[in-house]
Amino acid sequence: MIRMKDVSKVYDAGVLALDRVNLEIRKGEFVFVVGPSGAGKSTLIKLLYRQEVPTEGQVVVAGNDLGTMRRREIPYFRRKIGVVFQDFKLLYDRTVAENIAFALIVTGAAGRDVTRRVMQMISVVGLKGRQNAYPNQLSGGEQQRVAIARALIRNPEILLADEPTGNLDPKTSLEIFRLIERANIYGTTVVVATHARHIVDSMRKRVIEIKSGSVVRDDRRGAYDR
Amino acid sequence: MRTSLAGYLLGETGKSIWRNKLSSLLSCGTTALALFLLGVAFIINLNLGFMFQVVQKQMEIQVYLDKELSEDAYAEIYEAVKAMPGVAEVKYVSKADALEELKEMFRDKASVLEGLGEDNPLPASVRVNMVEAAMIPETVAAIEQIPGVDDVEYQAEAASRLASLGRVSQAVSLGGMAVVGLVAIMVISNSIRLTVDAKRHEIAIMKLVGATDELIVGPFILTGIVLGVLGGVFGASLAIGLYSWVVSTIQELLPFVPILNLTVETAVDMLIVMLSTGVVVGVLGSTISLRRYLRV
Repeated sequence: MIRMKDVSKVYDAGVLALDRVNLEIRKGEFVFVVGPSGAGKSTLIKLLYRQEVPTEGQVVVAGNDLGTMRRREIPYFRRKIGVVFQDFKLLYDRTVAENIAFALIVTGAAGRDVTRRVMQMISVVGLKGRQNAYPNQLSGGEQQRVAIARALIRNPEILLADEPTGNLDPKTSLEIFRLIERANIYGTTVVVATHARHIVDSMRKRVIEIKSGSVVRDDRRGAYDR
Repeated sequence: MRTSLAGYLLGETGKSIWRNKLSSLLSCGTTALALFLLGVAFIINLNLGFMFQVVQKQMEIQVYLDKELSEDAYAEIYEAVKAMPGVAEVKYVSKADALEELKEMFRDKASVLEGLGEDNPLPASVRVNMVEAAMIPETVAAIEQIPGVDDVEYQAEAASRLASLGRVSQAVSLGGMAVVGLVAIMVISNSIRLTVDAKRHEIAIMKLVGATDELIVGPFILTGIVLGVLGGVFGASLAIGLYSWVVSTIQELLPFVPILNLTVETAVDMLIVMLSTGVVVGVLGSTISLRRYLRV
């Protein structure tokens, strides 16, 4: 599903964010990416949804070689992927339902089918009754649920999350990870960059550790620390 | 909840115009001014054409021919003039015809002309009417080159003045329109740039969830078009309204001045030209402000 081959990323300022990374993630896997701040976790995620392009090497995601992908193809590629961020990235002048529907409307979907799927997704993420609330009337955990609902509404092949619980308390974090795990159980490949030690330790999934832009550890059923 | 693309496009367009009321108003206003000037140019053009037609009928070129030539030579000159470009009508006036005309003019004082009967001093001439007044000076110069032509007379002043008046007023109104049109494009583009800047966050999210460039840019272009068309409607109404007032005033105060009544067909033509110019201004304005964004 995801393959990185000798991938290096150097930013304009000359900062080496990733240094010859090789990894392979198969369909249906759940992968934690851990490591200290600035190690390159976010860059790795950004390369996977083609926010950034590698300076060297090859990134293949869901059958697309992202290095040679044409600009026009990017939107269609992104529709196969859901992305969740630490800061939620919601539209604050739109209701919960509108934020979630947005991901369907941009693909040209319309009408009652959209309403039905949105309401269904709202109940999946546990926000029943909150569909007409605005994001700033919600708690952080609830906002992240909206973001997850938006990421999952198109049944993506891959769910990427960059520190999805960075702003949330431990109990709420656990609930968010339950939701993400649920998507994985239904077949979505999941890659999560996180600092949530207790969750990584309790879930015992594949753990890839990055330090200074290099993969230093790749455990099949790993913990946060070695 | 809006659940369609069309609803999304229209909703976003309406919101962006409403949220930036002042700059939207400014955009509309400058577009209206530019298109008003376009309308003025249009009307001036229309009236000049009309005036040329009126004046042209009164403007004849008189070509006096050498007295010593034969009738055959006169006929040759007549044919040569007739073959010139832009010549609408040519009339040959023989020596005898000229005398008859003169006698007609002095009917009451026939005695003045007594004694001329035997020795007609009047030259034969050719009278030329042109299709366009602007072509008169050229044609006159060409006729003067024909051998056997003695003298050419025409209302040189009037013809060249009318022609240059037409050129100048058209150039001024079109130049004014171009300048104000450019300003309108800049104002619209600036207005839309403000909206784009305010929506950076939203645009980033749209890209994230897989919106195509067309969808992202669509509401902005539509906003530009709406502003341009609104400007066009105001500008056209202003121009048409003002012109109807001018026509009725002139017809009342100066009934002898030739002025063209604005027919419904002309008004519709004008509206079409102005509204489509409004659309062009709007599209250019919005595209300019999105160009940098589109390149990313």
